[in-house]
This record gives sequence, structure tokens and C-alpha cells, in this order.
Amino acid sequence: MTDIPLTLTDAAAALRAGAVTSVALTRAAIAAADRLDDTLGAYLSRFDEYALERAAAADAELARGLDRGPLHGIPFGVKDILAMAEGPTTAQSLVLDRAWGAGKDAPVVARLKAAGAVITGKTTTMEFACGMPDVTKPFPVPRNPWNPDTWPGGSSSGTGIGVATGMFLAGLGTDTAGSIRIPAAFCGVTGLMPTFGRVPKSGCVPLGYSLDHVGPLARSARDCATVLEVIAGEHRSDPDCVDAPFTAPEWGGDLAGLRIGVVREGHFPEQGDPATEQAFDAAIAVLARAGASITEVRLPLRQEMITADMITMGCEALAYHRTDLSTRWDDYFLATRAMLAIGAQVSGADYVQAQRVRRAAQDAVGRLFDEVDVILTPTAATGAPTFSSITGPGGSPDIGALFALIHTPYWDTVGNPVLAVPMGFTPAGLPLSMQFAGPAFGEAEILRVADVFQQATGWHLRTPEPELEGVAA
Amino acid sequence: MNEIVKTLLDQAALPASEDEIAAYAAGFAAQRAAVDALYGVPEARYADPALRFRAGARITDWAE
Repeated sequence: MTDIPLTLTDAAAALRAGAVTSVALTRAAIAAADRLDDTLGAYLSRFDEYALERAAAADAELARGLDRGPLHGIPFGVKDILAMAEGPTTAQSLVLDRAWGAGKDAPVVARLKAAGAVITGKTTTMEFACGMPDVTKPFPVPRNPWNPDTWPGGSSSGTGIGVATGMFLAGLGTDTAGSIRIPAAFCGVTGLMPTFGRVPKSGCVPLGYSLDHVGPLARSARDCATVLEVIAGEHRSDPDCVDAPFTAPEWGGDLAGLRIGVVREGHFPEQGDPATEQAFDAAIAVLARAGASITEVRLPLRQEMITADMITMGCEALAYHRTDLSTRWDDYFLATRAMLAIGAQVSGADYVQAQRVRRAAQDAVGRLFDEVDVILTPTAATGAPTFSSITGPGGSPDIGALFALIHTPYWDTVGNPVLAVPMGFTPAGLPLSMQFAGPAFGEAEILRVADVFQQATGWHLRTPEPELEGVAA
Repeated sequence: MNEIVKTLLDQAALPASEDEIAAYAAGFAAQRAAVDALYGVPEARYADPALRFRAGARITDWAE
């Protein structure tokens, strides 16, 4: 049997060395899905036949010297809020009009196809990229491959699960309050939220127009850089997207001269797992040994930006959903309704004030990046929580309890790039994660720093062995 | 608090159940306090909002 490389980067090299074929990579990805997906719920649609056709085409093209770049022939998952011609986009919802985006590719999907990526299917999300799983609705409940009784994170749940278990080597997610970085953290993979405006978000079902980011989840920082090179760059259909193509950094070297600002304030709450701070301290020591200077910093307007994310997402999403909510309330997931109803509980002035405070925070964060090159925080205060621990009375989601444990929304409101990276495990064997934030359009530096950490540690190469029996319904 | 939340949801034509209204109302005071705190941020007193508007902009189909 062919050895299947763990990372996109290694697979791309193996393809070019003739050590593996795209068809073999794709068959392995399909086999992983056959074995695990009924339990873990990574996919909403699988395109097995299409993927094998594209893999065979990639092999033929590479054999005759047509090389479309490092994604050529790589199995790849796409979150099901991005349009793709081969299947319907559902946003994991009964409500979304199936005619929306039918037969069309979102610009990022078109770029992946042009780069030769082998898209294996559309992956699970929380409904419309917000809320929580709802067992009363006819969709898979995504489960964490490290412990299926725990939440895999979301909303890009299926992409995180799929990368962790080899159902594909990389995939796309979206991030409005942490939806790339949370599943990356809880599934033990690497996830990049690019700078707002670096990647076009048109062709994606919107959640928060001024907060949505499209980005990759993959095994490593190098893998994420490879994907970002393909999907970044302006597109005339997205007024927020700017002319800022991305080039991966030179890999290797050390961190001499690098200034890392470490955030602790508010990031280690009482209800968190003490293992998080221990792993965080150990990770800082690795970075210091690589030559970085470490100082402690505070995130300006931290609590205010968390509030601004909630208001902004609630209002922008309610504008999109209000008509459907008023007529199809019960078709929405319970948690989605709760999140969207926030938009009705604030005023127009509240929304504008949130945008004024966002501007002030952007300015303050920019000045903070005059003093440090990279900011480091834990991604979450724990490993993946159990489903029961984030469910409130009556089966409704305990959103407050959940967001007390997660440190991602701040960065969506200011728009800076952030990379979530595995940094260890809890005593129960669940992944822990930290996030590297950089100045706007500073992806190359945070990816380089994270790569130095990953080359020195190897947490990102750990893989789960899911227990398929006895999963709670 | 239930009545305030119920009124706000009614205004938005959101047909939430009584249980849902009660759940939203339980968090409303804290949520309202967090929102009100945004008006007390001195750095934002004279800040322009992070909104966008471009004269002459047209809607472009992303799939074209």
C-alpha cells in the first residue's frame, strides 16, 4: 500500500517525485470518509466520482509536464456555505434557497479548481455559520475525532474534522467570530483567518458582511500558506477585497530579533483547563529558545471588541435573515434563532457605535504592532467541551458559557490575520491551541513564526484515532 | 425584562416562543450593559465608524 503523506506540502512533493499519485491520495481520502464520516459528520455532500475524475486528470497533466502548482492533485474540502457548481449549497439549513449559487463556483472555489485541487465534497457547518448543532434537524451532528462526545468546534466543523482524519489534506472555512480557528483548535489542526479583504468572500452565504473571512484549515502553517497563495487577491464582486496577493515567506531560520507580545489578561478564566496555561508557557519557551524576545501586552478594548462582534454579526445577519425568520422561524436551528435575535435587541445607533469603537480599536491595535511583531494568545481556554457542557436548560445552547472559553472574536472585529496552531494536549487527550496574530496583511510573518514553532515541536502532526463505538446520540 | 424583549422581537417580526423569549430575557440586562459601555469609550468619541460607502459603486455578480 502506498504511504500517504500527512501534510499537503509533503503530498505535493511526493506527487512530483512520483512517490504517490493523486488518485492514490484521493482513494485514501475517500476510504477515510467511508470509515469515519457516519460517526463524525464531516460531510454534507461527497463528490467521490468527480474527485476521482479530477485526480486522474491531475495525474495525466502532471505526467505530461503541466504543473498547476502545489494544490494540483490534492484532496480538498469546501465548507458548505461556499458555492460550488457540482452540488447544492445548503449552509446546513432547511431555509437557504437551493437555487442560490446553483451551478456556480464562488471565486475562491474557482481559484482552487484552476489550481488543480481535487475537491472531495462540501463540509458541515453550524447552520449559516452560526449557532450550534441541533439534533432535531435533518443534518449530521459534527463530532470531534479526538473524542466524539465532544464538540469539534465550529462553524467550519467538517473542514476541521476532515483535515484531522485525512478525509482531505486541506480545506476552506470561514471565520466571523472564530469559525476557522475554533475547529482548528479543537480538532488539533492549523487554521488561518486571513486579513479582512485579503480573500474574496463573494459566493459565500454571508453571516456578518464586515466580519466574514474565508481561509484555510490544514495540517501545518506551510500548508495554509500554500492555500492562501491560491485564494488571495482582489475580485471585482467583493467591494471589501483589495489588491493584495500573497506570497509565502522563506521558510526556516530562527526568530532572532522578533518581538512577541504575549496576552494573558482575560485568557485564563477560572472555568478553563489549567493545562492550557501550562502548554502556553511551554510554547512561549520554545519561541524564546528560537530567539524571540517575549513581553506581556494587553489587547486594547478587549471586552468592547467582543461586544462589537456580537452586535455587528447580529445586526448584519438579521438584515439578511429577517424575512425568512418571520415566516420560517421553526425551520431555523434553535441556536441560530438565538444568535440572530440579538440583532433585534440593539438599535441602529448601537450598531454604528460598535463600528466607531471598532475603528478606535483598529487604531490601537495598529499602534500595538509598532511595539511588537506578533501577538500570541491561547485560542481557547480549554480543549473541546462536551456537548452536554455547552447545552443549557431545555436543550438550548449555552452561548455565554461557550464564549467565555473562546478567545477568537476580538480579532474578527479588528480584521488582523490570525493563525491557530496546536500547542499540546489536555490530560484527557484533547488538543490545545494558541493563536499568532499579526499586523494587517502580515500573514507571511505569522506563518513563518508558526512554522519555526512547528518544526521545533510537532504537535501539528499528531492524529486522532476516533473511537467509533458507543458514541452518545 | 420579558416584556421588553418580547416587544423588540415583535417589532422585528420574529415569532419566538415564550420559552425562547424568557431565555433571551435572562441575558438581556448583561447584554444591554455591554452595549451601553461602548458609548463610554473615549477613543471612539470622535472616531468615524468603520462603514463603507463608495459613490458610483455597482453590484457585480460574483459568478460572472
